Order: sequence, then structure tokens, then C-alpha cells
Amino acid sequence: MRIVVAEDSVLFREGLVRILGEGGFDVVAQAGDADALHHAVIAAKPDVAIVDVRMPPTQTDEGTRAARQIRERHPEVGLLVLSQVVEAKHAMELLSESPEGFGYLLKDRVIEIDDFLEAVRRVGRGGTAIDPEVVAQLFGRRRAQDPLEELTTREREVLSLMAEGRSNRGICDKLVLSPKTIESHVNNIFSKLRLGPAPDDHRRVLAVLAFLK
Amino acid sequence: MRILRYSLLAGGIALGIAAYKVQMDNLHVTLIRSVGLPWNLTQAHAMTVGPFTTSARSWAIVSGAWLFLVAGLVAWSRRPSNRLGPLMAAAGIALLLRQLRYSHDAFLFTVFFVVGELSYWVVAHAVFAYPSGRITDRLERGLIKVGYTVTFLFTIAILLLYDGSRPLRFFDPTPRDSLISVGGSGDAAITMQKAFVIVVWGVLAVAAIVLLIRKLVLATPRARRILAPLLLAAITVGLRAVFESIFTFAERPSSVLYDYLFWWQISAFIALPLALLAGFLRARLARASVGDLVLELERTPPQGIRDALRRALDDPTLDVLFWLPERNGFVDAAGRSAELPDHGNRTVTRLQHEGEPLAALVHDPSLLEEPKLVNAAGAAASLALENARLHAETRAQLEQVRESRVRIVATADEERRRIERDIHDGAQQRLVALAVQLRSAQRRLQDPEVDSLLAATVKELQVAVEELRELARGVHPAILTEDGLAAALESLVSRIPFPVDLDAAEGRLPAQVEATAYFVACEALANVVKHARASTATVRTVRRNGLLVVEVEDDGIGGAVAGNGSGLRGLADRVEALGGRLHVESPAEGGTRIVGEIPCAS
Repeated sequence: MRIVVAEDSVLFREGLVRILGEGGFDVVAQAGDADALHHAVIAAKPDVAIVDVRMPPTQTDEGTRAARQIRERHPEVGLLVLSQVVEAKHAMELLSESPEGFGYLLKDRVIEIDDFLEAVRRVGRGGTAIDPEVVAQLFGRRRAQDPLEELTTREREVLSLMAEGRSNRGICDKLVLSPKTIESHVNNIFSKLRLGPAPDDHRRVLAVLAFLK
Repeated sequence: MRILRYSLLAGGIALGIAAYKVQMDNLHVTLIRSVGLPWNLTQAHAMTVGPFTTSARSWAIVSGAWLFLVAGLVAWSRRPSNRLGPLMAAAGIALLLRQLRYSHDAFLFTVFFVVGELSYWVVAHAVFAYPSGRITDRLERGLIKVGYTVTFLFTIAILLLYDGSRPLRFFDPTPRDSLISVGGSGDAAITMQKAFVIVVWGVLAVAAIVLLIRKLVLATPRARRILAPLLLAAITVGLRAVFESIFTFAERPSSVLYDYLFWWQISAFIALPLALLAGFLRARLARASVGDLVLELERTPPQGIRDALRRALDDPTLDVLFWLPERNGFVDAAGRSAELPDHGNRTVTRLQHEGEPLAALVHDPSLLEEPKLVNAAGAAASLALENARLHAETRAQLEQVRESRVRIVATADEERRRIERDIHDGAQQRLVALAVQLRSAQRRLQDPEVDSLLAATVKELQVAVEELRELARGVHPAILTEDGLAAALESLVSRIPFPVDLDAAEGRLPAQVEATAYFVACEALANVVKHARASTATVRTVRRNGLLVVEVEDDGIGGAVAGNGSGLRGLADRVEALGGRLHVESPAEGGTRIVGEIPCAS
């Protein structure tokens, strides 16, 4: 899988590139700011662009704006946005524009290398990777007659992992449960939340996030 | 001077009686001549002999002249330095002398025919010199000069041409001798008299009316009230001009119209000196009110001193500015810096107290005509002004303190934002990079001993990163700067471990206002989590009457206080620095409601 990395901190970028390389990814270009990122995306045609939210010159939201532009001009490129802080609001905004092949994670998630590489792969395949912190924020939102209260603790865990964008397989690994059990949990959740029959992995993330939103 | 004034009064009374007698003698002569004519013809005849030839009319004109004299003498004695009094007295005397021109004596007729017509210009002179005693306007001076000159030349010309063959207009038919007659014809003298009426009552009188109205229009509001008698003067001139024209040019004026016109113009004429005197003495009354001012100021609070001065000086536009030595400038009563005006509509009088600048009165320029009055009022008010100045000084200092509080809050916010960025982009970034490197190393080494050590280290680093993130969020959440208050509050309540209802007004506000409201909500919710044992809470922000109101309510145990050292006290300081208020309602029976009201300009 071809990757472009846009990150202005050299130390972090090098760590990231090494991990990706060791994980079997092909880092085709590196960029230190938004302009370099645009050029790299056009020249290298990557499968995934990994973008830091804060980049020069103002260190505020250059990365976010660059990400939006890439979504508009190159919708085929998967986008994984990394940030020091994540906000559910930002996640929903970025998602709503183009929900497929999108990831939004805390930078710290890179430390759990296997999880991180799995997330990059998902995004590269057109899937979704949403930070658990964002999901927790979405769970924390107040709803009138909250149907979430009808879920069991286990079901809530499964729902969180679905919202992060994980497949059944990923959820199995994470919770150390059999695929059959997971499947029944998923079906229960969808019926309790009145979301209709559970769709496939990609689209169910959107259904779950739309519900939580 | 007093003797002079009494002599003028006595002379004026004598002159008035003499003038009356001259008219009555003429009336007798005329009536004797018309013996044998029917009564209605006698009346008609009497009508042609002159406008003043009834007892009542004659008394009216003499009374008008006397009133001018008396009003002038009163003004003179009250304000000896003002020339208006002598001018009005002179006008009165001139008007009385004018009547002597009807005498059959050749000398009196010749002299007072000239002097008599000039008397109206002395009246005009006094009117235009009102109230200062001087005519400062160039056009007005020009008009008066032209008036005196033209009148003098015309009357001399009429006397040169007059040969007694036909009676002059306004005169009874008895021929008189002009001592300077060069012979001519009665017609020539009358034609000259008509030309005189056209020039003086047709042209110059209209010019006078225009100049009087102009003076009123251009005046400042205070001056206009004082100049009000000039409107009466303009009306008087107008009536008199119509009267003169009709009498001169109409062949057979309707006797009723003629009668009305005479009484209208003479009434206005009689009222004029009274109006001038009343207006003139108003300033005098104002001076008496300066005495009251001293007493009044003893009971006046500092903020009322301006109104007291306005009343005393009869200038509702007056303002007081106070001198602040340490600022080397003036401030208004609220302590705000103020500039002295330097344009013509406003005049400044500077007041001193014990040799030091004290205050400045900004007032209507018409008060300049009475500098003593302004200074007297200033002196009377100096103690109260000194007091008020100290008040203004305190206000100014308070204002400075308030501004510096706002600056401190702004600087603190800026610092917080900078620290937040530094944490994220500095320490936090480095720790994450370090953890990634260690993780890499851990994978590469594949050594069980080192592996657990590295795993523990990475775990610690992750905790440290997490703590730094929470620290930065507490210092100043990035979302507040980037997306505003509503988004920041949404993010805040989603992290609270129990349900919180949020109703936040959308739209951006000044950064300080947003930050202050955010920290109110943040601190209040933190207290709820820590102390209130609440099951639910509500956060609301509303924009109302130029205020941003942020309200946090819970159903906990209550009893919160905003004492010293508590987070709430610090918040209250912050809110008050921006000119707002923080209310805490936390009854012992339970429930706490914290309301911050923060002024927001937009």
C-alpha cells in the first residue's frame, strides 16, 4: 500500500515512517507542510495520506484544510488525520463530507503499532478508523429517552468498536470472543437501536455514527 | 452720573409735555380754521393734518418715547459700563425732540425736522447694539451709518426745497418757514419726501428686518433666548414701514385701516423698550442666581454641580471638565479623558483654585459677553468643583484599574493559549515520538527482559501524554479558539461522567468573552462533579440585552459559596473584570445555580 506522510515534526515523522516501512507499507513521499502534501498527493498517487492537523505556518488547522481539499480533488485517496487532541465535532464534520476511506486518530495511537497499522490498512481499503476517544464523546452525548441504556455492557463495548470502524473480525480479536457471539451481539444492537438489519462492515460504521451523532 | 440721569429724566418729562402741547396747539389752529364745516368734514380735515393730532395719539407717542428714556436710564444705572442704557435713553430723548418739528416756530421746525427723523436711527442703533451695547457686525454697522447719513441728507434736501406753498406730508396745513429754503416748489419738497419714504421705509427698513432675523437665526440657543426682543423690533419696523407707506402714498386711506395701523405700530413701539429692558436685565437676574448657587452647592452632590451651573448661568448646554494634574489633561465627570473644544460654537472658560488649574467650563459663546458672571459662578463653585474634581480623579483611576483588569485577563488568556500550543507541539509531541521510537526498538530487539522494561516505559509515556493532553485542555482548550464557545461546551459536557443538558447559543463572540463564559461553565461543572453529588446538570448560554448569560444548574446538595480562595471567587473576579457579574445561588436544601453575565458588544 502506498503511503504519503505529512508531518512537520521530524522526530515523529521518522518514527512513523519506520513503523510503516516495517509493517510492509510503501512510504512514497514525506511532506512538512500543506503545499508539499498537495504536490506529493498529485505526484505519488498514494492509497493513503497520513496528515497531521497542525502544520506550519500557523500551527492551527492547516492539516484539516489540506485534508478537505484532498477529499474534494482526490476522493480515491484514503485519508488518515492525526491530532494531539480529537473532537467529536471535527470528526463528524470531516466524516460527513466523505465518510469512506477516512480515519481520525490521536497521535498516541501510533504507539500501539499493530492497532495503528490495522487502522491504516482499513482506511486504505475504503474503511473507517475513528478514535475511541471520539466514540466515547459521542456516547457521552445526552439523548432524550436514550436507547443506549437498553444495551448490555458487552453490547456497548461492541458498539464502541463498531463505531471506531472495526470489522467483526477486528472486534473478535479485541474482545477475544467467537465470531458467532459477535454477530449475535451486532444483530441485537441493531434491533435495540432500531437501525434495521445490520449492513456490511463499511456501511454499518456510518449507520452507527449517524445514530450516535 | 446719577445727577446726569436725573436731569435727563426731568428734561425728558418736560420735553414730553412740550411736545404734547405743540400737537394740541396745531390741532386747535386746524379746528378753528375749519369752523363752519360739518362735523364729519372736520374729522376728515383733522385726519389730513397729521397722524398724531388727537390727544390720545399724541400721548401714546410721547409715552413710547418716555418708556425708551426710562428703560434706558434703568439699564444705565444697573449696568453703568454697558452702553446700551445711554443709547436707549438717547433714543427716548431724540423721539421727544422729534415732536418739536411740528412747531410753527421757524427755528424749532428747521432744527427738529432734521433731528426728528434721525431719532428712528438712534432707536435702530440701540436695537442692533442690544444686549452688549456695541454693534460688532460689519453689515449692521454699515446699515446704521447709511441710515444716519441718508436721513440727514434727505431732510436737509427737503428743507432746501420747501417753500411753504403746500403742506408737507404728516404736517398740518399751516405754512412754516424753512430757515435754509432756497425756494422751489411745494411739489418738489413733497416729491423728495416721497423718495425719502421709499429709501428709508422701503429699502433700509427691509434691510434692517433681514439683518434682525439673520441675527436670530445665527444665534446659539442661549443667545437666541436673550435676543428674543429683536423679533419684536423686527415686527415694529415692519408695521411702521407699512404705516408710513400707506400714509405717504395712499390718496385716501380708509380711516379705519389707518386707525388700526396707527395703534398696532405704536403698541409694538411702546412694548419694544420694555422687552429690551427685560431681556437686558435677565443677565442681571442670572447674576443674582450666582448668590443662590453658593447656597445650592452646599447641598449638591458632585454629579449635580453641572446642572446647578447650567441653571445659574442660564445655559443648558454648559459642561464641566476637570483638570487632572497627573494626566496633564482634562476628564469629564465620569473620569473619561476629554479634549477642550476649539471651534466657534463652544467657548471655554478656565477656572483656577489657589493658583492651580481646577476645571474648565465649556459653554455658549454668548456667555462671553458677561465674563464677570461666568467667573463669579466659577468662584462660587470652586470648592464644590474641587470636590467634584477629586471625584472625577477617583473615577479616572477606577477607569484605569478597570482597563488594566481587562488587559490582565486578555494577557492571561493569550498566555494560556500559548502554553496550550507549547504543550501540544513541544513536550507532548516529543513524548509521543519517543514512545514510538521505543516501541520500534522493542520490536527489533525481541529480547524478553528488555521487552517488559520497554513495554512498561512506553506505558508510562502514554500516561504522561494523556496527562499532558488533559493539562493543556484545562489551560485552554484548542476547540474554544478554533470553533468557539458552543463547540467547546459541547466537548466539555461530553466528558462529564453524568448526563448534562446543553443549550448553547451559536455564533462567535470576542475571545475574552468566550473564554470567560467557558471557564465559568468549566469551573461550575468541575464543582458539580467534585462536591454536588448531582445526578444531572444543565448548561445554558443565551445572548440577551448585550449580555452573554451562562448558567449552570444542578440537582445536587447545594451549599456552594464563592468565598476567598475558591475557584468561584477567581471566576467572579474574571467576570467582573469584563464588567459582568457572577451570581451563585446554592441553598442548603439543595441544588446549585451559577449564573455569569458577561457584557458582549455585538
